[in-house]
Amino acid sequence: MYVNILFLTSALLTVGCAVAMLIARNIMHSCIFLLGTLIGIAGLYVTLGADFVAVTQTMVYVGGIVILMLFAVMLTGGKEFVSRAQKLLGLIPAMGNKWSFGIAFLTSFVFVLSQFVLIKNIVKGVEVTKEAKPFVSTVEEIGELLLTDHVLAFELSSVLLLGALIGAAIIARPRKERVAND
Amino acid sequence: MNTTIAEYFLSFDVFRSFVSRISLWLGTDVTPFIVFMIFLLGALVITLVLATVGGFGTYAERKISADIQARIGPNRVGPYGLFQLIADGIKMVSKEDIAPKTADLFLFYLAPFLAIFGVFSTFAVIPFGSGITLTDLNVGVFYLVAISSLVGVGVFLGGYASNSKWSMLGGMRGASQIISYEIPVTLSILAMVLLSGGMSFGQIVGSQGAFPHQWFLFHNPFSFIAFFVLFTGALAETNRAPFDLPEAESELVSGYHTEYTGMRFGLFALAEYVEVFVVSGVAVSLFLGGYNVPGEEFGHSLAGQGAQATVFFLKTCALYYVVIWIRWTFPRLRVDQLMVICWKYLTPIAIFNLVGCAVWLVVFDGKSMFELFFHH
Amino acid sequence: MISLVSYLAISLLLFFIGLTLMIARKNIVAILLGIELILNAAALNFVAYSRFAASNIDGHIFSLFVIVIAAAEAAVGLAIVIHYFQLKETIHIDEATELRN
Repeated sequence: MYVNILFLTSALLTVGCAVAMLIARNIMHSCIFLLGTLIGIAGLYVTLGADFVAVTQTMVYVGGIVILMLFAVMLTGGKEFVSRAQKLLGLIPAMGNKWSFGIAFLTSFVFVLSQFVLIKNIVKGVEVTKEAKPFVSTVEEIGELLLTDHVLAFELSSVLLLGALIGAAIIARPRKERVAND
Repeated sequence: MNTTIAEYFLSFDVFRSFVSRISLWLGTDVTPFIVFMIFLLGALVITLVLATVGGFGTYAERKISADIQARIGPNRVGPYGLFQLIADGIKMVSKEDIAPKTADLFLFYLAPFLAIFGVFSTFAVIPFGSGITLTDLNVGVFYLVAISSLVGVGVFLGGYASNSKWSMLGGMRGASQIISYEIPVTLSILAMVLLSGGMSFGQIVGSQGAFPHQWFLFHNPFSFIAFFVLFTGALAETNRAPFDLPEAESELVSGYHTEYTGMRFGLFALAEYVEVFVVSGVAVSLFLGGYNVPGEEFGHSLAGQGAQATVFFLKTCALYYVVIWIRWTFPRLRVDQLMVICWKYLTPIAIFNLVGCAVWLVVFDGKSMFELFFHH
Repeated sequence: MISLVSYLAISLLLFFIGLTLMIARKNIVAILLGIELILNAAALNFVAYSRFAASNIDGHIFSLFVIVIAAAEAAVGLAIVIHYFQLKETIHIDEATELRN
């Protein structure tokens, strides 16, 4: 029962904050609602018995990405960039009007439905367990899998992170020669 | 070994029979409800106790600073000024709640709560005793590092939303400082996780002992250095002097909480003082033997729990004293010095410690220095 | 109440909200926010399938890699955004039409 309560709270937090992200005019508020969504998703991971993934989610997103986003918003003008001209249904700041969005949603709905029909047979073959498994720690198992079965992906992701680190540092560095020319 | 406070209570026969009698009387099994109530009450008690400890932190800070500067300090309210924190609390609650006209009100009101939420959520895993831990998560240390980074978001938002230049500078400094110093702190913690072979506080504390030669601090030379890296990084993460740049009084008025008044300022201050206690407690659990008391059997009894909590609090308060001592002894750093210390010194040292601990574990088969010297 | 379908429904909602954010906003940071939502929806699906339809936890590993890639993407993306703002003084996506200077 308490798992159900946690699930309901997390799901409401996730979906509510995501909708609020869409509606918020102020990009700074959108970032904060993203924080709520991410914490809600971490709660959903907990209800799925994925303790390590939940904590990693909190660590990487709350401690890293959200603060980076806030910094980026602040350094690029903050809330001055509020789109007032374009509004969808008088509510959502967006380009396009209700007709273009209606057509887009209809198209995507048809697309998703056809995908469901296509993969229905594949999904049918998968056995879905109904009852809750007893909770076991996933830390040891993830550690073993990362260094045995998925060691290539693990190493590649470390190379990716190194590349991202150097790339971000090079891109964002101040350009001295341009300042000298101006 | 107990993993939660509820399991500790349920390990007593008296308590189990009490629960089963209520179950019989009501006709349904009330054990889940009782467990939930234990968690609720435990969380309430721990939150209240630590909030009071945070309040006494302000008193201790003023008394100790007065002592260091050869003054007397607060001595008007109650014996030795002990009730000063109650007077401060009443003053804060009764002050007018002002928000700047140009502030982003939603974020302005949200920021103190994010900070306090980040600090108070860490109480769930802090080990006060082998039974008095709300829950001994198997990712405990990781959870603590992750959830306490919410404080950074709170600090940054407090600075941004106030729409004042001092606040903005303080918030930016605070956020960049917190996310930078998270790296050496996490690497030092990781070295201790390596030594104990698990991320739960129960396992980390359990693999140490009551006496100094069993502590991780003296396990090997690398862990000895790791303690100082962690302590320095923790000072910076809690915005304590000499790393209190986000609220540097002489340059930024008072940094990210310049525009806050009344209880909202009080929440920021409380978050800061409680966080100092939390990081001291983490350092004690990771390096200084935590709640360990001599004797295996003794630890499980109620008296043993009291002794464990006392030991934990004494060690933590000793570290707390050192933190305050450092604040009133060292001058504040400059921003560039702060970043140089983090990225050019602490982070390489922390990586070196991590590798060193791993090599030590392989070469000496997990034995500590003491075992190598005295047991052949 | 908790079944595979409920998680998939949440994930679908997140995906579409992220897609709408990506398409509808003209602020580059908002587009990056939408991408984060989409990546999270995918990671949630992986973990949900690993819990309900598989007997192993490979799904957890996949979602960990998704988180890693999201972090790398956010770092590089925001660096590009900040650099672009330094050049053009705007982060309107429609202004990004030139390949040189």
